[in-house]
Amino acid sequence: MVNGHRSLSASEVLMGHAGKGFSTSYRQESVLTSREHQSASGIDSNMDTAIHAPHNVEMPEQIEQALVERIDKDRIELPVLPQVAGRVMALAHDPSADAAHLSALIHQDQALAAHVLRIANSPAYMPRTPIASLQHAVAMLGVNQLSEIAVTVSLKSAAVKIPGHEADIRQLWRHALASGAYAKEIARMRRYNVESAYLCGLLHAVGKPVVLKTVTAIAADLHVPLGPDGIQAFLDGYHARVGSVIAIEWALPPQVAEAIAYYGVYEHTPTHRQEAMMTCLADRLATYLLVPDSYDDSTLRDHSVFADLNLYPNDVDTLLSLKEKILCLVDTMAQ
Amino acid sequence: MSTVLHYDIVVIGSGPAGQKAAIQGAKAGKHVAVIEREIGVGGGCVYRGTIPSKTLRESALQLDRMKRSAITPNAAIPSNILVSTLMQRLDEVVTSHGDYMMNQLTRNGVTLFHGRAQFRSDSLIEMLTIDGMKQTVSADTIIIATGSRPRAPVDIPIDHEHILDSDSILSMIYLPRSLTVLGGGIIALEYASIFAALGVQVTIIDRADRPLQFFDAELVRMFVQSFEQAGGRYSGKQAIKDVRWDGISQVVTTLQDGQVFTGDKMLVALGRQANIEDLNLSTTGLIVTEKGTLAVNEHCQTAIPNIYGVGDLIGPPGLASSAMEQGRRAVCHALGLPVGQSADIIPTGVYTIPEMASIGLDEAAGLKRYREVMIGRAKFNEIARGQISDIRDGLLKMVADPTGEYLLGVQIIGEGATELIHLGQMALQHGATVDSFVENIFNFPTLAETYRVAALDIVGQRQKRLKSIAA
Repeated sequence: MVNGHRSLSASEVLMGHAGKGFSTSYRQESVLTSREHQSASGIDSNMDTAIHAPHNVEMPEQIEQALVERIDKDRIELPVLPQVAGRVMALAHDPSADAAHLSALIHQDQALAAHVLRIANSPAYMPRTPIASLQHAVAMLGVNQLSEIAVTVSLKSAAVKIPGHEADIRQLWRHALASGAYAKEIARMRRYNVESAYLCGLLHAVGKPVVLKTVTAIAADLHVPLGPDGIQAFLDGYHARVGSVIAIEWALPPQVAEAIAYYGVYEHTPTHRQEAMMTCLADRLATYLLVPDSYDDSTLRDHSVFADLNLYPNDVDTLLSLKEKILCLVDTMAQ
Repeated sequence: MSTVLHYDIVVIGSGPAGQKAAIQGAKAGKHVAVIEREIGVGGGCVYRGTIPSKTLRESALQLDRMKRSAITPNAAIPSNILVSTLMQRLDEVVTSHGDYMMNQLTRNGVTLFHGRAQFRSDSLIEMLTIDGMKQTVSADTIIIATGSRPRAPVDIPIDHEHILDSDSILSMIYLPRSLTVLGGGIIALEYASIFAALGVQVTIIDRADRPLQFFDAELVRMFVQSFEQAGGRYSGKQAIKDVRWDGISQVVTTLQDGQVFTGDKMLVALGRQANIEDLNLSTTGLIVTEKGTLAVNEHCQTAIPNIYGVGDLIGPPGLASSAMEQGRRAVCHALGLPVGQSADIIPTGVYTIPEMASIGLDEAAGLKRYREVMIGRAKFNEIARGQISDIRDGLLKMVADPTGEYLLGVQIIGEGATELIHLGQMALQHGATVDSFVENIFNFPTLAETYRVAALDIVGQRQKRLKSIAA
């Protein structure tokens, strides 16, 4: 108690101490993604993943060495979902299609969106001002040029087709869409600019499909068996790192780069803590939305990020009430 | 329900008004608690308003100085600069200011609660904490200082992405190429001039023929000239028909007369809205005005004698300085303490580029009260320090009574105006004559010399008048 009058119970929250003392957000995030992965890939859902934190699961050493080498040598390839790329190609030949249509289409694909942003910001196109959003990219480059970029990217990049992991990829994509949508809503609630929040949400786990593709390819090349737990360990252990590499290579805005790297440990975010916190919560809400058995209402709220974002129970209720709207958005965009 | 905690004074909100109210109560030996809904103390002033915008302003000023410097002529901000880079010291400044205020409150023995307050009766408040728990607090005196937030007109689709308010504008990633500003008040002008100085094409659209209707017309005219010279545009006497995001890249504003303005982003700065909805005022019988503010008397006392309203919550002027004084006064009144003379005249500071400030009566108010006034003027570019520092867009206006002897007010435009004004404030509070500025020696070279030059201007007019009367 500040003035020594008396000490209150837990109902009194002294200034500057709200939500402190919770130190397991990274671990929670890891558990959460593990559950999400289980649900998507049919891993035994009875297994108690809460005790399988990533560092407790053994990653085959040969695969890990190869993965680290690729990361260190910047030999990580970002795939583009061919379905959307195909639609972009079709759109490019449709005289009735407009820029808003193209922007909406690209918005549906995180990998393509990221590629478009990277390329639109590259010296080859010399944007007058850095392009921070897809709408901006469409406006700056025009429909045709942007379509060319999208098509070129799609043709050059190998599509993510990993036999046995189609459901994983779908689920990761749906999670990204839901995270982006929730991030926007959280930002609006916090009266924060939603432009960066959406990108942070959409791209926060951009490293996961890349890690998934890379480690399964490495495992196949080396003829080393890699089970679901091992894959999950790689995803949990390396997606932020790979995501950070991608963010740097693509020169993503620092808000997005920090959200990718720190959303699970936002306490350590160097500069853009708000974005990292909003992304952390968006990720959590997206999991709650898409993986029904991930949390119940009370365990969902058991995270320091709510207090750190100063969200009161009724604010959280408001966010949760958007469930149907966001699910509908995800279903529409994921098609 | 848990035990009811009792305090002599409970302050709801820890912005400038609430903070000063709490300190005043604690210094009077009272048992004081502050309930703040945000994580840190300081209110919007620290986290969303005054401090952050002034941090961005400093970057704009530095650029402005560089542009005028012989060493770095034609300096320009790189087009890819991040807004966060321009506000690099913000976290440091906010943390430091927040810590200072927190220390001040705790040092004075004020109890701090983090939660949302709701009235249960005239003297009973229920506090909902961030973790959903409830605590009831009672108090002999309750000071409501919950501040305000940007007003969101129903017909303007603020999405915090393309169409922003003064809270969300500072979290933009990049500087836009163009910005449309709706409104002609202090916040609108401050941001408009800051972004114009940063090289953004800014258009202000407002209903009034000139911005800042409450401010000296001559100074505002000078501001508009300076703003337009920096590439900005003021479009007055306009009524908005429609605002929309075109879905691609532009915010399109259509006016009633058919004109269409487009901009990469829009800032909606059409006033502020008092934060009163969550207080459950209906249980107290407190009166809310048509403008949504809390009705108070000259002592900031509401219709319920033990409840006071201070700061933005009670409407204009909406300045941190006046809010602090209201907080202090309210508690003094509640405790039957003398208010003191010092606070009869509160300065107004507008942190535009260039700055503007006012104390006492301006020319229009002086004419209204005295029918005739004497005005002394001193241009910054005629003062040695103005020349040295290259502060050219500056003017100090001194308003004196019809005899030219007594000071009624001072208005200043130009860098340093918000600091310079305090000399006029002290002079007014001590009933200084115009001659006292002539008789005193100021440091040379300083901008304070403008006071002397303006006073000499009035003395000259006075002598001229005496001569003409004698003739």
